[in-house]
Amino acid sequence: MATTDSPKEPERRMSKTNRERLVSVGRHAALLAWSFVVLFPLYWVVSMSLKPPSEAISLPPDWIFLPTVYNYMQLLQQSSFIAAFANSVFMVSTSVILVLLIGVPAAYVLSRYDIPKQRDVLVWILSSRMLPPVAVVIPFFVIFRALNLYDTRIGMIFMYITINISVVVWVMKAFFDGIPETLEEAARVDGATQFQAFRKVILPAAKPGIFSVAIISFIFAWIELLFSLVLTNNNATTVTMQVYQFIGVRQIEWGMLAAATTATILPVVVFVIAVNKYLAAGLSFGVVVKE
Amino acid sequence: MSTQTQSTNSEPSALVRLRDLWNAYLPYWFMTPMVLVMLLITVFPGIYDLYLSLVKYKLTDPTAIGQFNGLENFQTAFTSGGAVNSFTITILFVVGALAFETGLGFLLAALVTGVKSDRMKTFYRIAFILPMAVAPVSLATISRIMLNSEVGVIPYMITQYTPFVAPNFLSDLPLLTVILVDTWNWTPFMFIIFYAGMSSVPDTLLEAARVDGAPLWRRYVHVIIPYMKPVLFVAILIRLIDLFRTFGLVFSLTSGGPGTETELVSINIFQTGFTFVDLGAASAIAVVYLIGIVALCNILIIKIGFEGVWE
Repeated sequence: MATTDSPKEPERRMSKTNRERLVSVGRHAALLAWSFVVLFPLYWVVSMSLKPPSEAISLPPDWIFLPTVYNYMQLLQQSSFIAAFANSVFMVSTSVILVLLIGVPAAYVLSRYDIPKQRDVLVWILSSRMLPPVAVVIPFFVIFRALNLYDTRIGMIFMYITINISVVVWVMKAFFDGIPETLEEAARVDGATQFQAFRKVILPAAKPGIFSVAIISFIFAWIELLFSLVLTNNNATTVTMQVYQFIGVRQIEWGMLAAATTATILPVVVFVIAVNKYLAAGLSFGVVVKE
Repeated sequence: MSTQTQSTNSEPSALVRLRDLWNAYLPYWFMTPMVLVMLLITVFPGIYDLYLSLVKYKLTDPTAIGQFNGLENFQTAFTSGGAVNSFTITILFVVGALAFETGLGFLLAALVTGVKSDRMKTFYRIAFILPMAVAPVSLATISRIMLNSEVGVIPYMITQYTPFVAPNFLSDLPLLTVILVDTWNWTPFMFIIFYAGMSSVPDTLLEAARVDGAPLWRRYVHVIIPYMKPVLFVAILIRLIDLFRTFGLVFSLTSGGPGTETELVSINIFQTGFTFVDLGAASAIAVVYLIGIVALCNILIIKIGFEGVWE
């Protein structure tokens, strides 16, 4: 873009490009500084998990070391951690599937039909996000104990749905709004029922939206701590709960703590990178759609 | 939509009738599960919290559970329970973190938007969103490792390479530390939304301002920010809502301490309800907190929202 300025005397242009170069250097310096702030803690915990116990916390830090999987082998022997990890994967994935089954059709209706007081309905849905989880968890703690849902996977799956339903409905409504209605009208003309048009035409067109909202829902459920703290004990315990318990007990075994932390972060990092293009749409409740 | 099937002479089979019923009332079938879930997660907890706040509900005293208690729970919570203090701390935490995250998020978005190389742009964009992948409880362990006054690398580097002596972050500056750690965790949220918003500012608009000779800051104040207003509003609103919900990070990093210096309302409610097992008093605080947040957010939505934001 340096050449878009109208040509003037050569010296002025020189100084202009020099200034732009300076701005560019400053810009990259600032951005690289923040990259360091962001990446250093991640690097630190991963490298710590790969250090032998004797070097884990040595200061000055051993920048060069022989990586070892010792800490991970130790972690794999913790059957409680493995069980919690499997639990989290199962409960969070199931909740994502269910929240999509409940939320996506509703979003379609909110997008395509004239709903009375549509705006109030949308704000009501958003308001479920406003309720502090700690205020929500008390009634469910009481009711779960009465219904024998305390410390069950079904109970936790339900709680995870409560976290994500508002995001799913809002984001998917915005996505459906962006799909032209002529698409399903054409299908209707060809003799498809409303439902068939939805399933065979609209859903495939909304795939990127569904995919990104699924991953965002996965993340929000995966990182949740409070519900597992209050509503689980053993059977339905989660990976975040394991890390939380490690803090107190294993503070001496830094390497294993770092390995457990890395294991909770890594799957989500992969997901975040996979959907980075759609992240803005999902996180802004569909307000930002294009990028 | 008609429910009539064109049956020739035989009665339509049950299956066909079922299918017609399904198609005729499709919007209702589609909406019902969502509405039921929403009732269960908004109306039910609200009413039940209110009920619990008015009765005795101490798990240590099972025989008295359910006895009407008047406003005693509110009195217990707000006179002896430290709830008032936790409201102040929450406001400091929310305002501080929101300011840092919004400012930093905007600055980073503006800087990355101006990067010319596509490769570097992608690198920054992906690097900057990574902290969001870190669960608050995991971030708490990382912070404990890195900020530890004996074995932590950050105090070590400060003392070693700067003229300052590193403070003991979690005991000398607990609230600020918690705010900064949250800023690390959630600035990506602001960044990614602001960045997308800035990318959607039409080039023609910017070009016009440039041709007019508007300096950089004027382009922001008069073109970019007004254009991005809906995006700014929504990002700040959502982050505000989520900051009031904060629990896991602070709870696993400081448990509200030292003393009660980082005891957010959510932690105060948790401890009242599950450490001191007084669900009645916990619900009393929860009711006040819940009403406060919902009222604040609705005022924001009604006052500023909707104009150009939604619909």
